[in-house]
Amino acid sequence: MLLYFCQRVAYVVGIVLVVSLLIFSITQIMPGNVAYVILGDFAPLEQIHALEEKLGFNDPWYVQYWRWLSQIARLDFGDSLIMERPIGPILWQAVANSAVLAVISIVLVAVIGIWLGVVSAVRHGKASDHVVSIGTYIVLAVPEFFWCIVLIVVFAGSLQWLPATGYTSMDEGFFVWASHLVLPVVALVMGLVAHVSRLTRSSMLEVMQSPYVVAARARGIPEARVIRGHALPNALLPTITVLAIDIGVLMGGMVVVETIFSYPGLGRLLIFGIQQLDLPLIQAAMMVVAVIYALANLLADVLYAFLNPRIRFGKAAHG
Amino acid sequence: MRHTCSAPGDRDAPISAQPPGREGEILTLDGLSVRYGSGPSSLRALDKVSLSLPRGGALGVVGESGSGKSTLAMTLMGLLAGSARVDGGRAVFEGEDLYALSPAGWAGMRGRRIGLVFQDPFTALNPAKTIAHQLTEPLVLHRGLSETAARAEARRLLDEVGISDPDAMLSAYPHALSGGMKQRALIAAALAGDPDLLILDEPTTALDVTIEAQILDLLEALRAERQLSMIFISHNLGVIARVVDEVCVLYAGQVVETAPKAEIFAAPRHPYTKGLLASMPRLGAPRARLETIPGRLPDLTNPPEGCRFAARCPFAEDRCAAPQPMVSVGPGRESRCWKAVALGATPWTSAETAAPARARTVAADAPPALRADGVSKRFRRAGGVRVRIDRSGAIPVPRIGHSTFNAVDAVSLTVKAGETVGLVGESGCGKSTLARCLIRLIEPDGGAIALNGRDILKGRAADRRTIARTAQFVFQNPDSSLNPRKTVRQILARPLALLGEERPGTMDQRVERLLDMVRLSRAYMDRYPHEMSGGEKQRIGIARVLAAEPKFVICDEAVSALDVSVQASILNLLADLRDELGLAYLFISHDLSVVRHIADRVAVMYRGGIVEVGPASALGTPGHHPYTEALLSAVPSLDSRGAERMRLAGTVSAPGDGITGCRFADRCPRKIGPVCDTQAPPWRTGPEGVRFECHHTADALAG
Ligand code: SF4
Ligand code: SF4
Repeated sequence: MLLYFCQRVAYVVGIVLVVSLLIFSITQIMPGNVAYVILGDFAPLEQIHALEEKLGFNDPWYVQYWRWLSQIARLDFGDSLIMERPIGPILWQAVANSAVLAVISIVLVAVIGIWLGVVSAVRHGKASDHVVSIGTYIVLAVPEFFWCIVLIVVFAGSLQWLPATGYTSMDEGFFVWASHLVLPVVALVMGLVAHVSRLTRSSMLEVMQSPYVVAARARGIPEARVIRGHALPNALLPTITVLAIDIGVLMGGMVVVETIFSYPGLGRLLIFGIQQLDLPLIQAAMMVVAVIYALANLLADVLYAFLNPRIRFGKAAHG
Repeated sequence: MRHTCSAPGDRDAPISAQPPGREGEILTLDGLSVRYGSGPSSLRALDKVSLSLPRGGALGVVGESGSGKSTLAMTLMGLLAGSARVDGGRAVFEGEDLYALSPAGWAGMRGRRIGLVFQDPFTALNPAKTIAHQLTEPLVLHRGLSETAARAEARRLLDEVGISDPDAMLSAYPHALSGGMKQRALIAAALAGDPDLLILDEPTTALDVTIEAQILDLLEALRAERQLSMIFISHNLGVIARVVDEVCVLYAGQVVETAPKAEIFAAPRHPYTKGLLASMPRLGAPRARLETIPGRLPDLTNPPEGCRFAARCPFAEDRCAAPQPMVSVGPGRESRCWKAVALGATPWTSAETAAPARARTVAADAPPALRADGVSKRFRRAGGVRVRIDRSGAIPVPRIGHSTFNAVDAVSLTVKAGETVGLVGESGCGKSTLARCLIRLIEPDGGAIALNGRDILKGRAADRRTIARTAQFVFQNPDSSLNPRKTVRQILARPLALLGEERPGTMDQRVERLLDMVRLSRAYMDRYPHEMSGGEKQRIGIARVLAAEPKFVICDEAVSALDVSVQASILNLLADLRDELGLAYLFISHDLSVVRHIADRVAVMYRGGIVEVGPASALGTPGHHPYTEALLSAVPSLDSRGAERMRLAGTVSAPGDGITGCRFADRCPRKIGPVCDTQAPPWRTGPEGVRFECHHTADALAG
């Protein structure tokens, strides 16, 4: 188990390094020279050269990469070119805001998705199964931003139940705070719930046909216990991996949802950076996304191992 | 479909209103039918099955695939899945009509009064739960025990089913256990509710033969001690013969014959039973050509009105087109065939034109098709990673080492042209690895291999294509080795194309020739694998191998997945092809009777090495390696032979590392003493030219 854990950690570190190289190189070839962004399009050439020299842009790429990486590793993200402030505090605030959204969403996705999946597997072929199936297909068939707009038009526009956009801090009261979260969370969660419930349903159906579940029934274990105690723990193994992958999907979705709902999170910050060609900001935001994603995968692997005795105790040499 | 009933003892009579649970019977099935699906495509898997089981009795249910035998097990447990349902008749268990039970009633039945042991121990235990959990759960639920009391009881149950270290077993997860241990645990779990009736659905099919023998011993003992009634379902007549008193033969969802065990094997009365028995290769019988049952199961969505076996029966007449009731053919015996009494002891004759059996002698000076010398293969042990400090250099460096084991340990083997060598051994002994090494599907670590006199490990002969032209491989499972999206024509054309243009005829003609060789009609050219039966698919698998015109063919469990009657016809086909084309075979199987039937010589493998080589005909006589002896006495046979059976304790040992003495020392019942552990035994020559590796002399072992 320890060995397995070390392997996974090493793997994750490797992935983050590769991704950091990618992020670094992508931003290197981005259109719009950094010096021009800082000094304006009409700056004299000597000033541009001087600034590039000062920023170290004339060093070989690996020197630049190393400098950048070691800064990032010290959580020193440098200054934003546009806002002319340190990126750190801005970034952390955005991460915190997004985290609120993400944590609520992923918990809801896990709970609702798994629950729906199990219910439709257990009622396989019955009306409730069909309703869930059709519902999930409809949700999955239409892209996220469409649901965002529908939600805004219906709940903020016509019904006026909820604010359409924006964010307030908790200080202004829990309900005001929460009311701003409802629509973005719903928009984020819909697609993923559909995805997770489809997957849980199919792995649950498969497990419920498996000999050990039939054997448990034959031992006279009541059906509810068979489902909870024998089928579900095994059916959840693939779901857990997918949940981790869905954290990545979730972060992609957050870029869209935060932009549409004007929610001041990491996704919107990233879009802002890209629009403004704010190189250090883009790099910082992307690195944070990559690290979160990698950690989510690590978590999934560890959880998977914990639920799967075959990995937890090492495979017996001969079964 | 109402049967005309006239014959005495006919139990197809219209069902009476009263549950007919007869005195002294624990279970009575009366006209029980089960249907899958609905509408015109529905299928009657069980058709008016009537059976009875006396209290404390043991009934064997024999059938091939499609007979409905597994459906029967699930029906009796009330666990029919999906669209299957009981659509007629009843099952009365201890006076209670099972299919009139409420869900609560079933809850009191399943696991408490009727237990079930499954076919495949490898998948029937929940991988995510400890054995303790799976055993105590029914104890807590059914017997109201506390957790601690349940654990103690689970321990006692494991002890009862012959687990030597119950405490270790309790805390283990299934993946850490061997197949035999798993099956014991499952039997213990089935006994947890203290049932009166135990249903065993192919309980030993997935196990090695020495382990199978242990489980059968256990079942016999349990039956005697607990006064259990048993229904033992299997395709294997030999296994059934060990445990039961009465046998019932199922064909296409109907009971076709019931009789006491001894009588049915000695004097079968229904033609299907005769055919089934005749197509079984047996250890004790002379190695003549096997009888077969030609044709295949009728379409159960639209079964014939009359005898369901008529299309395959050599005795069929016009009258067979009428529905057949069960007729009495002796005291306690019934058969679903009007001719059964008249036929009496008339033996089965397959309609297939029997080729004259040729006397097989392989010339002593025939050139070797395969010569392997000291072939070795090491594998990494899964999870066996160790970090060690390497101090050989100036500075100590940590190195990650993988512990390895000898899957194949310096094996030498020769197969002459035209000869068939059988390779037997239990799972994990390395026989499949060896076979794959021989044609370099796996790269051997050491040794020399020559095919047709050419070294395939070096030089020009070493390339894949050249090897493929001399040596080919027939796999166990035709299902997974045939591409489901290709027609037979496409499947066979590929290896033919490999041979290039040098062969005469168009591609279609060459495909036709291949189909002729495996006795399939040309109509099969455009079929897809799913449109064929298991036997037909295996024929295509063989045809594909023949396309390369090999001289040496490795058959790895090539008939193991097939029904007995189909297996016989494939064995005959393989033998014919060998004689026609002068092929040499390496025939790998766990089934000694099959190997003895087809092989000229037999090699026995244990823990990565060959421990005995000898003529196949010698397998019936004494004077063998103790392991061979144990294998032979573990084979279940119809004639209840062998009062003193030799039993191996423990499980099949893992292929070892650094075996210093005898490979078999850890399980050998004839072990001499420390000498077996420390000194490699010498090769001895016994009667009839059997050579084996043991410290005992051949005379001592024969005595
Ligand atoms: S009824 Fe006729 S076809 Fe059927 S088994 Fe008897 S003899 Fe053969
Ligand atoms: S050498 Fe010893 S342990 Fe090995 S088979 Fe012979 S008697 Fe048994």
